[in-house]
Amino acid sequence: MTYAHPEYLVETEWVAAHSEDPKVRILESDEDPLLYSIGHIPGALQVDWFSTLQHPLRRDFLTREQFEELASELGISNETTVVFYGDKSNWFACYALWLFQYYGHQNLKIMNGGRLKWEKENRPLVKEVPSYQKTTYRAKEPDKSIRAFRDEVLRHSNDRKPLVDVRSPKEYTGELLHMPNYPQEGATRGGHIPGAVNIPWAMAVNEADSTFKSADELRTLYEDRDIKPDGDVVAYCRIGERSSLTWFVLKYLLGYPNVRNYDGSWTEWGNLVDAPIEK
Amino acid sequence: MGQPCGRTDRKVTMSLPAKLQEIVDDFASMTREDKLDTLIAYAETFPPLPDWLKDKRDRMEPVPECMTPVFLFGEKQPDGGIHFYFDIPPQSPTVRGLATILANGLNGSTPEEVLSVPADFYQPMNLQEAVSSQRLNGFHGVLAHMKQEAVRLLEKPSE
Repeated sequence: MTYAHPEYLVETEWVAAHSEDPKVRILESDEDPLLYSIGHIPGALQVDWFSTLQHPLRRDFLTREQFEELASELGISNETTVVFYGDKSNWFACYALWLFQYYGHQNLKIMNGGRLKWEKENRPLVKEVPSYQKTTYRAKEPDKSIRAFRDEVLRHSNDRKPLVDVRSPKEYTGELLHMPNYPQEGATRGGHIPGAVNIPWAMAVNEADSTFKSADELRTLYEDRDIKPDGDVVAYCRIGERSSLTWFVLKYLLGYPNVRNYDGSWTEWGNLVDAPIEK
Repeated sequence: MGQPCGRTDRKVTMSLPAKLQEIVDDFASMTREDKLDTLIAYAETFPPLPDWLKDKRDRMEPVPECMTPVFLFGEKQPDGGIHFYFDIPPQSPTVRGLATILANGLNGSTPEEVLSVPADFYQPMNLQEAVSSQRLNGFHGVLAHMKQEAVRLLEKPSE
């Protein structure tokens, strides 16, 4: 079995060969945003999941107009192929891709292995920040078929439809309210959304070089836990970043037609009055 | 330290070690971009772990509040001041930068001086405009564990 949509994935060699291709824009999206300044792939620009992609006031993403402005500043036209890469096995690269998909951009790709693989192959990293000519960009209406909101998740849970909790096992059982490292973004209650199965996001990637596991391995990983291709699947984590990686895997590597990312995730659910919780 | 009305015979607990105060003041007057650039510069001067501490994480103080594996170790110098060593991977420049600020600001301070640094000393630096809140929490955690080391060195009779 091969990946269902291999066009969503490129290897490091491909990126190296296209770093000066005017039809391609390479974007770095990291958990640690200083990494870009320390050194990045030649020709790449940076998007930061928080300071670039989030709405400056509300807990939400950029509005459609703000997204158009961002794409224009990055020199991205509606025809540009956009390739994302980043640290931490491409967590935040998948998060950025998810947002671009939400606003209807075509031709999106993840660089398999992200920063880690690029570094391991001793490929060049530069400090020079390139500048590209501004474009006129037209975003589409948000594609709500890839994003789940809390009321939909409640119905989903009540109907016992497939839900994947991609956090660590201790977050799932409620022993921890957050990863040991994110106390500021915790929740007042621990546990998981009723009916959710726990498939930690990291099980989808190879630890050695951050690349995605093979299609066969991935299929076994999810299907054995009852996350099947014909299901209407919702994935969540703590703030929706780890689950965007799982969303990417299910949607494009395995080709599940109906997968949504619940970006409110546990920091919303675990604070929501009257929301049902299982431990 | 120019305490306008502090009595000199009493310890003024609000004052920071001079080097740390200087860094706090510098950051307080910087733009967001300057803060980021300065943090990168600090990350780039992050000192390598000395050989005698390599692979000695079991002897070091872990900082579980950080997203990345962070270990630190305080060594008492002949003059009574502490020298702090850090083991932080290069993939985490923000944490390296923040740890270097604390090392530069507090190396040479006595355990008592380290313990008297207020936990929120960095508020005037206005770092939240450059660094995410969870990472500031890590910063908080690093200081707390430097204080643990200070307590250990305080209890240890000096050689």
